[in-house]
Amino acid sequence: MAMAEAIARAAALLGAGICMGMGALGPGIGEGFVAGKACEGIARSPENASLITRTMLVGQAVSESTGIYSLVIALLLIFST
Amino acid sequence: MEFTQDYVQLAAFLGAAIAVSVSSIAAGIGEGYIAGEAVKSMTKQPESRDQVFRSMFIGQAVSETGGIFSLVIALLLMFGGFDVAAGGWQKAASLLAAGLAVGMGAVGPVFGAGYAGGQACKSIGRMPKHSNDILGNMLIGQALAQTSSIFALVVSLLLLYTVPNQPIDATVGDMILKSVAILGAGLSIGLGTLGPGTGIGTVAGRACDMMGKFPREKKEILRTMFLGAAVSESTAIYSLVVSFLLLFAF
Repeated sequence: MAMAEAIARAAALLGAGICMGMGALGPGIGEGFVAGKACEGIARSPENASLITRTMLVGQAVSESTGIYSLVIALLLIFST
Repeated sequence: MEFTQDYVQLAAFLGAAIAVSVSSIAAGIGEGYIAGEAVKSMTKQPESRDQVFRSMFIGQAVSETGGIFSLVIALLLMFGGFDVAAGGWQKAASLLAAGLAVGMGAVGPVFGAGYAGGQACKSIGRMPKHSNDILGNMLIGQALAQTSSIFALVVSLLLLYTVPNQPIDATVGDMILKSVAILGAGLSIGLGTLGPGTGIGTVAGRACDMMGKFPREKKEILRTMFLGAAVSESTAIYSLVVSFLLLFAF
């Protein structure tokens, strides 16, 4: 393997690792925050439990999207460079 | 390329130092938060001091797990008897990455478990009658938060024991590619557990707090906590997958 190609490829692999690592930070904290607030909401008004759970899951799904973007970019960096 | 064994040894020592120092920052803050909340709670309700003291102790012990994982890996890195002489770049990268993975990987889970433990102490001080329910909830939440530090431990052990020595006829290009992929695997899981660990800890902490205020809704709160924690965990699993790909696909 040529030296320049190896360095480029190595940089892509390191980038994939950092991309997924950093990309997991935001969704993880955000989804945890949503779920924590949902626990509060359900404790305060248990009669709305199904509505709160539904809203929690929708919010977490939206929050998850950036994590999935990171995963996609990491996989692209690993397999398509 | 000339590569003396001193450099592999250096990488092992550096990895050990990073593992223990980074994780102990988090452990100190997390456990300090639990103790702080416990003291506050005892000041307000001195009559529930026994229950608060018990939950503080148990909470701190569970928070410490991430730090203990790092200590184990650091001791292995220093005294594990790795083949330093024939390891090459690849071995050096894997030893450093093992330390990075477990050290950084402990930060989020330990913060999370610390928050859960602190909220549980606060809550038990307010409602000593329900201390067993709250303590059980705290333990489940802390265990969920610590799962991502177990992912980091697994990757770290794989880095220590499954990365082969560098072949003697490897070209410089192969050497760079393999070593950097290994470092990337360590960084991916090390950074990737930070968010999920903290997030799950937030869920567990809010659940403990609410269980003290509304003990009648115990079941609903526990169910929501499980569901929320499972969704939060997903990004840690993505990081684990990327780490495995970087470790084994090259």
